[in-house]
Amino acid sequence: MTTPYSAYKKKIHTCPVISNTNLVGEIYLMRLACPDISAFSLAGQFVNVKVNDEVIPLLRKPFSVCRRSSAEGWFEVLWKVVGKGTKIMADLRAGDSVSVVGPLGRGFRTAPKSGMALLVAGGIGVAPFPFLCEQLLAEGVEVEIFLGAQSTADLAMVDVFAEAGVPVTIATEDGSTGHRGLVTESLLKRLSSVADMAGVHLFSCGPTGFLKAMTAISEECKVEGQVAIETMMGCGFGICVGCPVRVRNPRAGEKLYKLSCIDGPVFGTREICLDG
Amino acid sequence: MVDLSVKIAGLVLKNPVLVASGTFGYGHESESLVDLQKLGGIVTKSVTLKRRDGNPPPRICELPAGMLNSIGLANVGVRAFIAEKLPYLRSVDTAIIVNVAGSTVDEYVEVVGMLEEEEGIDAYELNFSCPNVKEGGLEFSQNAQVTAEATRLVRDVTARPLIVKLTPNVTRVGEIAQAAADGGADAVSLINTLVGLAVDVETRRPKIYTGAGGYSGPAIKPVALAKVFEVANQVDIPIIGIGGIMNLNDALEFLITGASAVQVGTANFVDPATGERIATELRDHCQRNGIAAMAELVRSLLPWDDAK
Repeated sequence: MTTPYSAYKKKIHTCPVISNTNLVGEIYLMRLACPDISAFSLAGQFVNVKVNDEVIPLLRKPFSVCRRSSAEGWFEVLWKVVGKGTKIMADLRAGDSVSVVGPLGRGFRTAPKSGMALLVAGGIGVAPFPFLCEQLLAEGVEVEIFLGAQSTADLAMVDVFAEAGVPVTIATEDGSTGHRGLVTESLLKRLSSVADMAGVHLFSCGPTGFLKAMTAISEECKVEGQVAIETMMGCGFGICVGCPVRVRNPRAGEKLYKLSCIDGPVFGTREICLDG
Repeated sequence: MVDLSVKIAGLVLKNPVLVASGTFGYGHESESLVDLQKLGGIVTKSVTLKRRDGNPPPRICELPAGMLNSIGLANVGVRAFIAEKLPYLRSVDTAIIVNVAGSTVDEYVEVVGMLEEEEGIDAYELNFSCPNVKEGGLEFSQNAQVTAEATRLVRDVTARPLIVKLTPNVTRVGEIAQAAADGGADAVSLINTLVGLAVDVETRRPKIYTGAGGYSGPAIKPVALAKVFEVANQVDIPIIGIGGIMNLNDALEFLITGASAVQVGTANFVDPATGERIATELRDHCQRNGIAAMAELVRSLLPWDDAK
């Protein structure tokens, strides 16, 4: 199956901010008005945002499409403040606007009307999952969410999944919510109770170390999986060639580089080589 | 009526605003974001004899008003370029300048020789100045004699306009520019990136894999202008100015200082329509200021002495 890639041609949109909310800790959810991006983006795709008109910060920053309503013409991005750009975004208010390129990249592959999908997030890697969850449920797939975070202050969107009636398992490293430890431990426990892995599919998103663990789990437990990677990008649409990831070439067995922005950010666990 | 066209050797540009090599792919990537035919020309991603996978990540990092890159000339190779990329470029109504890179002089000659068989190429830009590959690249344009010889050998295999792209990482860029002219170059383009390095103090690793890389963006514009100024005072062949151009004002500074045309680089990552916008605004600027042709702007820098 080929990875979905929106037929809509990316454009640069000036998007008015509808709302910008500090959900918890340093995590923010911003709703932006854009009929095109809301209508044509796919789960797992991203947008590239220029937070102001200045040269510092210079480059756009990529954000997963977190949720969207094509009927109402908006989409949302979820992020954690980590540097200058994300701090400037946190200070934006309704009525401000930002320049957004999108939708970009290739989204998650979903197999309609079958099996069970386990969505596993490391920290702010939860960002693309509300959209993916909605899409999978609409396709008749059974969904369970696993959220891993440092602490309760790093957990977002829990209520959104709960409202959708989806089981949510939480692991925090400091034990402030749910299982004390790694989310991969919670996931392995869940997988140990699954009799037939054939219908199971793992979707994960988060930091590279976590995604490495997820590809290892996919291999050991013989579960199909896809990972959405977080990486630095220069442009977001293939011209700077600055965001390579190692993938295995299925024909020759050799490794080659693909670009996270146009070939990803979603890759199959069997394809991607996070060890370099 | 303003005439924005410029002529560089045999190369006629509809306007003096080009997009720089390595910042615009092979054109098609940005077709929904920019009206390509509004550009004065497209300089392609560097083409080498064999396809190159490029350097390991991280390849880029952001710095104040700029960025550091070490892509490593990742490209599809000349055969795939001819088969897969050139047909699209040919269909765009603008000047197509193919940037050529290599590890040895023979490689430049061989790549240009293969491209000579193809129609729809308006000029070559020789990348003698990439800081991010182990051999070739930078070594060429840091040595005047090598620059002259390499230019001459490529000159021998083509009658198409030849532009030599220069590095700022030298003591006297004017001497290298003169050497390119002596070797038969029709024009020089400058500057390529400044060699730079940034460190992550937490991990104590360089922010990009290769350690040092190429610094680009608005931060380097003053350096670029000074190098263009130096070359303009030393050589007679046309100059194409490059370095941190983000807007019309930046482009005007280069033209006035001595560039006959400019290339927009890093700005394309933020907005590939930057060059298109500058070309439109340049026309408005000329109209407002009664400038009829580009020759009235180029090399029009006035010394302070005149003001006394």
